[in-house]
Amino acid sequence: MHSLKIINLTVEVEKKKILVDFNLEIKSGEIHAIMGPNGTGKSTLAKVIMGDPYYKVIKGDILFDEESILTLSVDERARLGIFLGMQMPLEIEGVTNADFLRTALNIKKGSDFSLIPFIKKLDQTVEHLKMDKKMIHRGINQGFSGGERKKNEILQMYMLEPSMIVLDEIDSGLDVDSLKVVGENVMNYYKENNPGLLVITHYQRLLDYIKPDYVHIMMNGSIIKSGDVNLVKEIEEQGYEKFTTPKDIISGTYTVKETSQNE
Amino acid sequence: MNKIIVVNDIPEIVSLDDKIEFTFLEKNELFSINSLKIKVKKSTSLEIEYRSQENTKLDIFISVKENVKFKLFEYREGNHTKVQYKYYLEENSKTDIDKFYHLSGAKEMVIVNLNGKKAEFNYNLKTISVNEEKYDLIVYHNYSNTVSNIKNNGVNILDGVLTFNVSGFVLNNKKDCILNQNNRIINLTDNKCQINPNLFIDNNDVEANHSALIGRFSDEEIFYLQRLGIDESNATNLLIKGFLLSDFKKTKQSKLIKIIDQYWR
Repeated sequence: MHSLKIINLTVEVEKKKILVDFNLEIKSGEIHAIMGPNGTGKSTLAKVIMGDPYYKVIKGDILFDEESILTLSVDERARLGIFLGMQMPLEIEGVTNADFLRTALNIKKGSDFSLIPFIKKLDQTVEHLKMDKKMIHRGINQGFSGGERKKNEILQMYMLEPSMIVLDEIDSGLDVDSLKVVGENVMNYYKENNPGLLVITHYQRLLDYIKPDYVHIMMNGSIIKSGDVNLVKEIEEQGYEKFTTPKDIISGTYTVKETSQNE
Repeated sequence: MNKIIVVNDIPEIVSLDDKIEFTFLEKNELFSINSLKIKVKKSTSLEIEYRSQENTKLDIFISVKENVKFKLFEYREGNHTKVQYKYYLEENSKTDIDKFYHLSGAKEMVIVNLNGKKAEFNYNLKTISVNEEKYDLIVYHNYSNTVSNIKNNGVNILDGVLTFNVSGFVLNNKKDCILNQNNRIINLTDNKCQINPNLFIDNNDVEANHSALIGRFSDEEIFYLQRLGIDESNATNLLIKGFLLSDFKKTKQSKLIKIIDQYWR
């Protein structure tokens, strides 16, 4: 059982506060969805969890299994089992997907790393994600479409076997078929490995496949309301404006009713 | 496969088919530098390997006949070299050049003459610069509809001081030419490196692009790799390998990987 706890986190970039007294706790087996309008700090949250040094934490803490990870580098956090699937995966010329993943697993597993199981698993996962096998030997995301890039993020997730997963707008740029493939593969991984999962999205359509236990609305760097999956329907029907009134703001904490999402 | 091995400016092994005419002119009282003359008569490919245990000087003349497609791979390793290339490309010919250098110093001048309509010149140089290296490349678009795509990539380390000077010329009455320059130096030292891209174009109907970048890898690139648990040092190594190996075919890469591994295993 793992846990990721974000406590009163305030983060700034170029002296502008992006996250303000942000609180969230994710445990193994839980699926959390964060929704909110553009520019509210969702992607910042994802990158801060992963340790992007561009963002400056000025207050609060992030605990993984009750230990602060604020002083850990990006790669150290990844080796603890935290994974970030990025909103805009980079294209890197010359470094093939296979080399990238092999290097990552070599570092993670050390002497336990074995090439043949690696290749076998890579082939299987590529097939499940309905990716072209040739992509494995191409430069990272080089010439990939938006959908292929997102599938590539999920491929990385599968290969790394993380215990705490953050997916930042993994649905953007996906067509209907690719969304289904990505959504189903994320859920298959979830069922097989029981990770904690934080999904950042704008749209309800991803949550048709990845069923959240908890839904949070984020605005101006904080969670202003939390609930179960019914909250998604409210957002779809009424937009975010409804939630900006002061009575809906629950400062620093959120409460969730029992849900039936694990049925 | 056509292959020439040049050791200390003297061609020791020459294995060529009848598509290439090769002449070696040894230095004498009149010419103080050895010269290689390569005439490509029919479409083919050639690999030239240069090894030098001493400082060397060499002139190389390469002419590509009309309608001929020519692929050249050059690998250069060893001491300081001073080389001048002159290319002459005839109408509708296409020349693709891939070069990989690992030298203790270099001074190179490449002059390209696109001497016929639709002549195309694609150039890709990768170098590991450990000392002073200066590369001057000049492309003359002497005819309309000619194309040049120039890519110079270098990783500068140790005592390296790397300079790329790249110039493209189009005269007033030559139209519909395409000139692309892409130059990048990954400078892992505090030494000063330079890229001087020049486009001298005297015609409005020309497509021209250039990019020049000196620096280290971006924070975003490092973050993207670190995100999978790869530490910064290994992430940089991976990026350097990708930077130096991209554009080379798998068959050429194994030799280059051995060189790269000397520095970034």
